[in-house]
Amino acid sequence: MQDTMAILPLITTGAGAILVMLVAAFEGFRKEGISILGIGLFAFAFFVQLTVENSAPVTPYAELFNGMLVTSTFTKAASLIILACGFFSAVAAQTYFTQNRGFVLEYYCMMLFAACGMILMTMAAELITVFIALEIMSLAIYTLIGCDRRSVIRSEAVLKYLMLGAFAGAFFVMGSVFIYAGAKSTKFADIAVVISATGFLANPALLGGSMLILVALLFKVAAFPFHAWVIDVYDGAPLPVTGFMATAVKTAVFALFANFLLINTELRDGWVPYLFWISVLTMFVGNLIAIGQNNLKRMLAASGIVHSGYLIIGLVAMSSESFSGGAVLFYLAAYAASTLGIFVALSYLGGEDEKRITFDDFNGLARIRPYSAACVAIFMLSMAGIPPTAGFMGKFYIIAGAFKEGFVALGVLAIISSILSMWYYLRLIVAMYFKEPEGDFTVAEMTLAPLGTFVLAAAVFVISFIPVVI
Amino acid sequence: MFENFLSIMIFVPIIAGLALLFLPVSREAARAVGLAVSVIVVLFGLKLFVSFSGAGGGFEFTEYRVVNSSLGIAYSLGVDGISILILAAAALLFPMVYLLFQTREKGYYANLLIVQGAMIGAVAATDMVLFYVFWEVMLLPIFFMIGLYGGPRRLPATIKITIYTIAGSLLMLASIIYLGISYHAQSGEWSFAMENLSKMSLAGPTATLAFAGFMIAFAIKIPLFPFHTWLPDAYTEAPAATTFVLSAVMAKIGVYGVIRFVVPVFDESFARYALILACSGVIGMMYCGIAALAQKDMKRMLAFSSASHMGIIALGIFCMNVQALTGTLYQIVAHATSTGVLFLMLGIIEERSESRSIDDFGGLASRAPVFAVFFAVAMLASVGLPGTSGFIGEFLIILGAVKFNPMIAVCAGTTLIIGVCYMLWLFQRVFYEKTNSRLEHFRDLTAVETLTLLPIVILIIVMGIYPQPFIEKIEPTAQQQIAVIASVPHVAEAAPADLNLKKGEL
Repeated sequence: MQDTMAILPLITTGAGAILVMLVAAFEGFRKEGISILGIGLFAFAFFVQLTVENSAPVTPYAELFNGMLVTSTFTKAASLIILACGFFSAVAAQTYFTQNRGFVLEYYCMMLFAACGMILMTMAAELITVFIALEIMSLAIYTLIGCDRRSVIRSEAVLKYLMLGAFAGAFFVMGSVFIYAGAKSTKFADIAVVISATGFLANPALLGGSMLILVALLFKVAAFPFHAWVIDVYDGAPLPVTGFMATAVKTAVFALFANFLLINTELRDGWVPYLFWISVLTMFVGNLIAIGQNNLKRMLAASGIVHSGYLIIGLVAMSSESFSGGAVLFYLAAYAASTLGIFVALSYLGGEDEKRITFDDFNGLARIRPYSAACVAIFMLSMAGIPPTAGFMGKFYIIAGAFKEGFVALGVLAIISSILSMWYYLRLIVAMYFKEPEGDFTVAEMTLAPLGTFVLAAAVFVISFIPVVI
Repeated sequence: MFENFLSIMIFVPIIAGLALLFLPVSREAARAVGLAVSVIVVLFGLKLFVSFSGAGGGFEFTEYRVVNSSLGIAYSLGVDGISILILAAAALLFPMVYLLFQTREKGYYANLLIVQGAMIGAVAATDMVLFYVFWEVMLLPIFFMIGLYGGPRRLPATIKITIYTIAGSLLMLASIIYLGISYHAQSGEWSFAMENLSKMSLAGPTATLAFAGFMIAFAIKIPLFPFHTWLPDAYTEAPAATTFVLSAVMAKIGVYGVIRFVVPVFDESFARYALILACSGVIGMMYCGIAALAQKDMKRMLAFSSASHMGIIALGIFCMNVQALTGTLYQIVAHATSTGVLFLMLGIIEERSESRSIDDFGGLASRAPVFAVFFAVAMLASVGLPGTSGFIGEFLIILGAVKFNPMIAVCAGTTLIIGVCYMLWLFQRVFYEKTNSRLEHFRDLTAVETLTLLPIVILIIVMGIYPQPFIEKIEPTAQQQIAVIASVPHVAEAAPADLNLKKGEL
């Protein structure tokens, strides 16, 4: 019973997805009704997750279903972030599809399935469960990207993501097999016991297996050198889906990443020197890509790579004795609020068929829509890490964590990377405020997205006051 | 209500500014609100200045509230002898802007209010993270003011100043986090409070790097040579009020940062690198002074002149003795008033004649005698004529510099002569000589403008003749501050007799 209680949010989203699918079959329900239902289900799941009690704070884990799943405040907070991302992406989608084609009635159903997979992923403590979660999430996301079948760019994006994602999935399975061969178990806890008994480097199966799993996870968070897909896929996906991918998927994968590395301390220690360089290269390669972009979506995709770099710092510098996951989760929440904020804003500012998408398209926005421009400016400043926004505190925690664990160079490189990133974040503000307007920025009709933008802009400030133990 | 003196001075302008930004208000109403709020701040500032005792050199008007329990970040404010005069400058000078420039846009006044609140916050903060927050927030209004209301080449200037300052402040952020972590490692508790961090003993290459992080951030803001390259563009392209804010107050907050944070926390590194820093101050003085001589644009010339004088103000800190430090703190206000008035009057000139090129002027004194007198007073204070505020500060700094290193004192003293040259030459070309035909209709100061500028002009003269009340407020803290560095073995070895001599003098 206790176990079932803990996975109530999972059940809610899964059942909600099926409900949406059934309702969509009825004639009477059309786009508006389905949208409200989808948004409502995300809000409901959020409150369900909020009410679920956790017996264990962080470590030791409270095990469910004979060690298949774990729950802790860490997994709960991660699920809350994912559901909030789902809620705001659904709000963005509702508005987006009033002025863009490509809506299918199963859209919200797929979003809920994806969220279901993500929540399962945050709680998974066993490799097969992880794989199931990964596939539930990925298949739903592939469908979401390609739901407009007539669009060439969407098809291209989904093909690229599907091919490479399938590779990553195969890597993950192969890694699991190797690890099972080496450790005779797929449970994280058992693997950790075997590794600490026999030593990590002594067993080639464990070494190879963990490498393949890391590759799969790094692919999913778009870390260097597995970042190349992300620009085209984010660019090709519909705006709300891009927002959902950039935030919720990242949160889920990083939660899993942290869970996996936390239990397997020795495995982590073996990989930290490599993760160190991966995080450095991810930050700087992402910056170099972002600086050259003229398209906002592509810039945001590249900046997502950079933020993955910061988050990997959080993983490198987590100390196993006092790990609370706070810094990583805080950063994810701050990043999600500002990134989704931009996508929600773009969902109504983008106009019909995403016609406004480059920096120049937003010239002079502040003259015509001052409130929207102010919100977008707040999101940009938060991503750049300017106080008093949440993005600033997020960077503060991540860098403080790195310094505390002795990775001073990593912290300093993160600072240098955020100096570089100022260029492309400021560029949008400069365009919005200092250039003369060209278009009229008319949007189809008043919908939920402007409200969602305001809520997220306020959230960017509110989140920064949440204290986090590092 | 009066327990939260500083909070009121910080947040009333910020909230008023944000309200103006987001509410549909006419520009006249915006100016009226700005003026009213700045007068409120002035009243609070005066009360603060009068009731500040300065005795003991500790913090007064303190406020404390924990904001982030996990990291010990607190909202803690206070005023001491270092901050009181900069605070006074930030609080008292602003009504002038609203009175002199009456026809600007709403956002212009709103941004002025926000920047004022943020600057008061930066000066009053005694928690490093809080300081950092205000330090970054005060850049944003400047960014928007230059970018929206600046001159024709405003965009490159905006980008330059923003990237420059943000790069500096992010390096400082790394140093602040490093200090917090070191404190945690040494004491087992989290705190970013100034008094706790300055108690630490830091050594090793990382501490030197952290020192560099702070120093670069402040050197960019001051600006010290070689980090001054953003200044000419930003000062020239910015609207008059922004140039006034940048030169009169914001540059001083950089100096304040060095005195408040760098000297007590990194006493050892500071003592070790003081000579290099002093040289950079002197080089900046000379370089900007010579550059000022060559300018054809009045505003650009004053920009270089301001940078040159910031060099000597910074030099006062690096000399590490009571005279020089007192001189610096004094000169902060003296320079704020004189340069501030000069930039504001230049704004008036630009508004009325639509030109800043020196060649377009001549004989202005016969057209606008009151204007000429006020300009002359501010200019003479800026070059440090005895009897004006500029003399006391610069004299004390040179005096301190002689004790620190005679060569540097000689160079600094000589450079002051360059200052006299370009200023008097400017005055001659603009106010005397043949009257330029385009100045036929140049209006002298109106009654409002005269009354606005008069108190500051009087203050300039009073500070030059009777400096004692001001010095009394700052000297105890200056002595305390110097005592910190004097205890560093490195300094005590270098000049033992010298330092003992200096205590209690003056």
